[in-house]
Amino acid sequence: MIGRIWAMAINTAREAIRNKLLYTLLFFALAMMLFGTILSALSYVDRERMVQDFAFASIRLFSVAIAVFVGVGLIHKEVERRTVYTILSKPLSRAEFLIGKYTGLVLIIWLQVVIMALFFSGVSLLLGAPLGFTHLAALILTAVELALVVALATLFSSFTTPLLASFFSCGIWLAGHLTRDLRDHGASSASALVREGTAWMHRILPDLESFNLSIEAAHQLPVAASDIWFPALYGAGYVAVILAFAVMIFERRDFR
Amino acid sequence: MHSACWQKRGWLRVGLLLAAIATTGFAHSRFETRSRVELGQLQVPSPDYVKLWSLGFDAAIADYYWLRAIGVVGAEEGAVEEQGEVLADLIDLVTTVDPWVGHPYRFAAVWLTRDREMVERGNRLLERAISYHPLDWRNRYHLGFNYFYYLDEQMRAADLLEGAIGLEGAPGYLAPLVARLRSKRGGLQVAAAFLVQMIESTEDSYKKAEYLKAVDEIQIEERARFLDDARVEYWRRNGGDIEQVSDLLAGPKPVLQRLPRAQLHLDGFEWILDPESGQIVSSYYGSRYQLHESQADRSRKQEWRELGEGAEAEGA
Repeated sequence: MIGRIWAMAINTAREAIRNKLLYTLLFFALAMMLFGTILSALSYVDRERMVQDFAFASIRLFSVAIAVFVGVGLIHKEVERRTVYTILSKPLSRAEFLIGKYTGLVLIIWLQVVIMALFFSGVSLLLGAPLGFTHLAALILTAVELALVVALATLFSSFTTPLLASFFSCGIWLAGHLTRDLRDHGASSASALVREGTAWMHRILPDLESFNLSIEAAHQLPVAASDIWFPALYGAGYVAVILAFAVMIFERRDFR
Repeated sequence: MHSACWQKRGWLRVGLLLAAIATTGFAHSRFETRSRVELGQLQVPSPDYVKLWSLGFDAAIADYYWLRAIGVVGAEEGAVEEQGEVLADLIDLVTTVDPWVGHPYRFAAVWLTRDREMVERGNRLLERAISYHPLDWRNRYHLGFNYFYYLDEQMRAADLLEGAIGLEGAPGYLAPLVARLRSKRGGLQVAAAFLVQMIESTEDSYKKAEYLKAVDEIQIEERARFLDDARVEYWRRNGGDIEQVSDLLAGPKPVLQRLPRAQLHLDGFEWILDPESGQIVSSYYGSRYQLHESQADRSRKQEWRELGEGAEAEGA
């Protein structure tokens, strides 16, 4: 089974590498990092930190964009081109097909995170900005967040059109970054419905702020190992749940 | 015929392109292009709202508003006085979205000084700075300075500055400054006792030397006060003031047999009458042991006091 999933993943990665959108977004991400160095020159203090802040922001923003816009077309393209029939006629289950597709895209997204991280490190070294363990931790958790976003895109891609899937994925990503604050604001509400509603939203929707260590990295604040492993574990669990739903939906889907 | 037609079309296209460029340039020159900072129309959103919608880009958003804050100060002369509230709002936003920043807090402390209300806003930001950077002496120093210099609250200033003394990088002059502040209410004995305690607790030889110098100055001040008493006695006995400090030893009815040393360790210094204040001072120090305040500072404090009383009266 692993072999079949891996073969599917490699195939998907090869296909994704040919996607021009990936290179366009990667180019803009690198350009925005360079723009950050120009922008930071406007400040007379903390220039190196500002360069890193903008670099982290561009890594996260463009990686999410790649994850969503490439991810939503994963299944749809195969169905549209009718290649899904050929693939599924082979000894490959629908679950293996979907998980393979997901794995392939995650590999590509992580590869471009590595490229951006290398560029980020180069710029930081050139400017004499500090690089430490917290930067690595922040990048690792960004990679986990991206794996989760790709899972969301895969889920929506399994039953709807790319346009709607991208709306849904962006919506969940947006909400995932708001749930903590909404829960905190809701906790002070007089209405029990609002209090419970916001608390449940925080429990059910992905808590994407738990993957955000960019402030800690920028200020070189100490990060406990549990601040990395527990969010990573949470992310892995959440991805498994989303993929399970995606497989359930995909297995019941009629392609005729 | 055919190529002439194409040539004509080509010229027409170039003409249309030039017309479009000219129209764009003309239109651009006809409307307001000054930034909102320059126009004084900068609207700062609520920090909580921005924090909520930062979507994990907190650090970059804080940097963006920090650059806007620098823009307010650098816009033109007098901009800070006019847009003090905007600057305070911007720094409040920056430090709410990313409270771990360091310099913006002190930037606010330096620039938010137009009136009492602004200083108090700066102080609230500095209190936030202390809660996030408890080991940075500079925030406590700025807060203490604001209380001492702008709000005339010496004891509060002394408490804050005392908290900064033991922190890494704190300069040696802080403890003597605290002693000087404490001496205003508690007297010279309190100031000297504080310095002695500091001398005993520090390992830093540079700081120790600073504290010892401050103790010397307190001792000279005690002597100057002794000479003040002698001067009053001279007046009582002779019916007039001294013309020079040595008059205390001479004249028909001298009050002293000899003058104390004007410097504890060095020769060549004497007691003189300060031509500006008329006080007896050591020629080594040139002034008395006190908090120095310029006429401009006194006027500003008086102005703020009157404004505050006026506002209270209006409120009543």
